[in-house]
Order: sequence, then structure tokens, then C-alpha cells
Amino acid sequence: MGLLPDFILDYISDTTFWTILLIVHGLLAIALLGAITHQAMSVLMPVRRVAGAAGEPGIVTRFRSVQGAGYTAAVCVLWIVVYFFGAWLYTKYRMYVRIPIEAQGFWKTQGVFDLKEHVATIGLGLLPIYWFFWKNVRDPEYDSARKWLTVVLAAMVWYNFLVGHILNNVRGFGS
Amino acid sequence: MSTATDTRTGASASSLASSAAFRTFAVVFAIAAPIIYVTCEMRNWPLFTYHPGTNRFDWLYAAPVRDQGPAMHWYGWTANMLIGSAVLGILATFLPENITKKIPLSLTWIVPVAAMPVLIYALRFFWRWE
Repeated sequence: MGLLPDFILDYISDTTFWTILLIVHGLLAIALLGAITHQAMSVLMPVRRVAGAAGEPGIVTRFRSVQGAGYTAAVCVLWIVVYFFGAWLYTKYRMYVRIPIEAQGFWKTQGVFDLKEHVATIGLGLLPIYWFFWKNVRDPEYDSARKWLTVVLAAMVWYNFLVGHILNNVRGFGS
Repeated sequence: MSTATDTRTGASASSLASSAAFRTFAVVFAIAAPIIYVTCEMRNWPLFTYHPGTNRFDWLYAAPVRDQGPAMHWYGWTANMLIGSAVLGILATFLPENITKKIPLSLTWIVPVAAMPVLIYALRFFWRWE
């Protein structure tokens, strides 16, 4: 069960398919987390370097001194792909994860997951304006909105990543 | 005296990125999406219902069928959000620019943040200790 085309089962088992999809979903989520975190740090704590200052910048300074605009397309594409894979996994999750979680009375665990799906969907709706703001990075009119929208999206990705991790611990691989 | 390091790229704006119509569309889309989604979730108005146990789709809301597993409405809420926001965004592009320019850009992040407590409240069934 779960939305799985029959022809795939000619090559790999049902369990293998869902396991691969979950791993790819998780790996792409890590890439998204890294990209949006770099970008959020670059707008929250932009690097201001004293002219003529000596010495190498530390790791934190290097982490936040990225060119934020360079991450925009990657964040948009990764969000959509991670969302699509997550929505696909959800067909399996609903039958094989959620029902046992409810049967065991892990209500809050299920609640934070349901909030994860809401957060991911609302974030999806913010991508067009996020892309527009970053494509007009030299226009000061958008500076404040771009900054806080990026921070909000980063917070959404962190929440979703951590909840996904918790759910996998509760009933993921090998369960 | 200090100088700010410019961490911005010299990205040349594409035609879409320099389009006032796309700006209006994207702003309205971002503001409308959380509102439509929260409304659909709280009123349970999906565009369609998916039954994962039988791989069946029904239009609009459908209850779970006995002995055939649960019904999923999230996909239907998402479809409503995407279609509804796109329609409103397109309609907004027909408004005069002097009106659309007055839409506060901060709403693009304030509205989704404001939607979160509402969605947490909507999930109150799950916040229990038993």
C-alpha cells in the first residue's frame, strides 16, 4: 500500500523502494537545511570587516559570509523536490506509521508531525515571493521583507527536519 | 572606519524578476496561501480526498470507508491553496500598480507566522497527556 507504480516492483521490493525514497528525502532535506541556514545567517548577521584588519576569519564568520543570493534557486528547487518526495512518502506513512503511533497513544508525536505537513505547505506558498526578493537583492525596498522571510523559511526547515528525525526514531527504518 | 563587505551577488534580474506584474502576483500569492490553507484545514474543505488503503480518489470531502483504511485530505487542502492563491494572484495583477504597491511587503512573512498559532490550536486534539 502507498502510492507505488507496479512496474517499480519488477526491479526492487516494496520495502526497498520506500526505504530509498525516505533516504533520498532525508538527504535532500539536509541539503535544504544547509542552504537556507547559510542564507539566513548571512542576512541576520552580515559580515562587516574592518578595513585593513589582519588575521583569518573564524568558522562562524566564514559560515555567515556567504553570498546569500546564490542559494535562492537551490532552496526553491530543493523545497519543491523534498516536498514532493515527502508527499509521496505520506501515502505510506498514513497506513504504516500513523496508525501504529495512534494505537500506542503517541498523540503529541502525531501532532507535531501534522504541524510539519502544515508548515511545509505554507512554506511552499512563500517560494515565489522569496525567489523574487532574492532576485532583486540590490533593491533596498525589499531588504527587510527578504531578511525576515528568509529567517521564517529557515525556522520552518529546521522544525520540519527535527520533527522528521523524531518520527523516524519513533517508527522509521527497521520498524 | 569600517566598510561593509558586500555579500550580494551581481545577479542580473531576469525579466520575471523585474516584472511588476510578477511582483504583485507573488506578494498576493504569499499572503493568500496561508489564509486559504488555514481556512481549508479548519473547515475541512479539501479539493479531493485520497484513500491510501485502496488508492482511490474522491472529489471534495469524503469520509473513510469502513474496513478500507483512512482518508487523507491534506493533498486536497494543498491543491485548494495553490489554485486559490494563484487565482487571487492573477486577479491582483489586473489592479492598478499604485494600489498593489501599497500592499505591505512585511505581510509576506507576518501572515504565515500568524497562521502558526492557529494551526497549533487546530491540532489541539493531539496536545494531551493520556
